[in-house]
Amino acid sequence: MAQLSLQHIDKIYDNNVQAVFDFNMDVRDGELIVLVGPSGCGKSTTLRMVAGLEDISRGKLLLDGKDITQTPPKDRDMAMVFQNYALYGHMTIYENMAFSLTMRKEDPNVIHKKVLAAAEILGLTSQLNKKPAQLSGGQRQRVAMGRSIVRNPKVFLFDEPLSNLDAKLRGATRREILLLHKRLGATMLYVTHDQTEALTLADRIVCMSMGHVQQIGTPLELYDSPDNLFVAGFIGLPPMNFYDAVFEGGMLRGKGFEVELTDEEKDTLSGYNGKTITLGVRPEDIAEGGSLPVKVFSNENLGMNTLVHGHMGEGNRISAKLRGWTNYKNGDTVKVAFKKKHFFDKETTKAIRKEGR
Amino acid sequence: MTQTMDDREIRKDRMRFVKNTVSSRLCYLAILLNVLYFVSIYKSDVGSWYYQILVGGSIVYNLLFMLITFLASEGVKNYQKKYSTVLFVIGALQICRIFLLPMKAHQAVVKASGVETVVMQNPQFIRVILYLVGSAVCLIAAAVINLRKCKVLEEHANAMKSRNAKEAA
Repeated sequence: MAQLSLQHIDKIYDNNVQAVFDFNMDVRDGELIVLVGPSGCGKSTTLRMVAGLEDISRGKLLLDGKDITQTPPKDRDMAMVFQNYALYGHMTIYENMAFSLTMRKEDPNVIHKKVLAAAEILGLTSQLNKKPAQLSGGQRQRVAMGRSIVRNPKVFLFDEPLSNLDAKLRGATRREILLLHKRLGATMLYVTHDQTEALTLADRIVCMSMGHVQQIGTPLELYDSPDNLFVAGFIGLPPMNFYDAVFEGGMLRGKGFEVELTDEEKDTLSGYNGKTITLGVRPEDIAEGGSLPVKVFSNENLGMNTLVHGHMGEGNRISAKLRGWTNYKNGDTVKVAFKKKHFFDKETTKAIRKEGR
Repeated sequence: MTQTMDDREIRKDRMRFVKNTVSSRLCYLAILLNVLYFVSIYKSDVGSWYYQILVGGSIVYNLLFMLITFLASEGVKNYQKKYSTVLFVIGALQICRIFLLPMKAHQAVVKASGVETVVMQNPQFIRVILYLVGSAVCLIAAAVINLRKCKVLEEHANAMKSRNAKEAA
C-alpha cells in the first residue's frame, strides 16, 4: 500500500511544448484516482511521469514520503496496464503473467503460487495454457492486469485500459476493475477520456484540460458542483446546456427567455446585478411542465427517458432528458422548467457560488 | 537447499503450465551436433567411392533427421510420451551411423589424382564419432527425461482429479 504525492509537476518537451502545468495532488493509501480529460490534455503524460516513462521537467514525485523523481521505472515498484495489453503473443498466459517475476529471477515455486493466485482472482485459471490470440479482448486485458497483480506493486497505473473493448465488454471489465480495487485495496491511478468510467470507478477524479488541472474531487462533487465551465461541460452526458443571461430584478434574462430564480439563487448572484453570466443546466435537470417554451426538432427515446433537442428563445439550443417515453414531433412546443441551475462568471468561467461555499 | 513436500508438489503442479524445455533443448543440441558431423564428414571428400555412393542418401537422411528431431522436440516440449519413442529410435540410428561411414572411411586409402590419400585420419575420425555419440546421447537423454516428466505429470493430474472428485462429493 502506498501514498503518492505529486508536487508542482511540470512537463516540458525538448521542443519547448509544455504538456503539464503545475500538477499538485496527494493520492491517499488505497485510493483509486481517475485522471480524465479530452485527448491531449496531459493525463497520459502525467501517468507516464509517475511510472517513470517520461522525465519530470520540474517538481517532485514522492512515494511514501520518499523522493522518486529520478528513480528508474524498474525501481519504482509500480505496475502499469496499457491500452493495447502489451502481451507477448508467443507466450502462454501463464508465461505472460510470470514474465516480470522470471526476469527478476524469483523462485519458480513462488512465481507459480503468485500466478495461480492472480489467475484465481481474475477468473483466468482455465486459460493459463492458452496464447493471448486465443482470448477475447476483455480476457487479454485481465491477463495484463494479472501481470501487474503478481508483482504486488505499491501503485497500479492504468492507461486507458478499456479503450480497445466494445461497449458491453467495457462495462463488464470496468466492474471487474472496481472489484479488483476493493479486493486488493491498492492505490491506483487510472487514465481515461471516458467520463462514465471516471464517474463509476473513481474515489476522486482529476479533471484536466490543456495540461492544467481543472478540478479534483469526488465524482459527485464534479457532477454537482463543477468549479468551472470546462468541468461542467465535460462531466455529464449529454453535456450541460449553457446560455448567456443577464441577472436583473431577481430574474435571469437570455435571448428570448426569462428564468425565475429562487431566493437562494438570487442570493448567490447578488454580486452580479446587471451583469451577464453563463447559466448552465444539465439535461437531466430539465422537467416538463414549466413556463419555458422549447420548440422541438428531435425526439430520441432511450427507454426510461427521452432525449429531446430543441430551441429555446432565439437560437438557444437545448437538450432535455425528460422522464418516460414521449413522442414529440419536429415543430412541437413543449414547456419545461429548470430544476437545478449552475452559474458561471462570464469572464473567468469559474463557478459562481454563495460566499462561504 | 532441501525441498519441502509442499515445494515438490508445487514443482509438479508447475509442469501443467511450464513446458519441458530441457528435453526440447537437448533435441536442438542433437541437431547442432549432427550438423557439425556432416559438415565435418563432407569436408573430407577426396573423390572416394564412399562418398560418391553414399553422399546422396546421407544428405537425404540428414534432412530427415533434422526434420524429425525438430518435430519431436516440439512434441516433448508439450509432454507427449510417443515422441520419446521417436527420439530413442533416431538416437539408436545415430549410433548405427558410426559403422556406416566413419568406420569404413577411417584409415581407408584411395588414389586421388595419382596420389595415395588417407580418406579419414584419426583426429577427424574421433571428432565425427564424438559428434554422433554426443547427438545420440542428447536424443536418448531427452527421451528419458520426457518419459519421467510425463509419468510425474500423469500421476499429478490423476491425484488432482481424484482430489477434485472427492471435494465435489
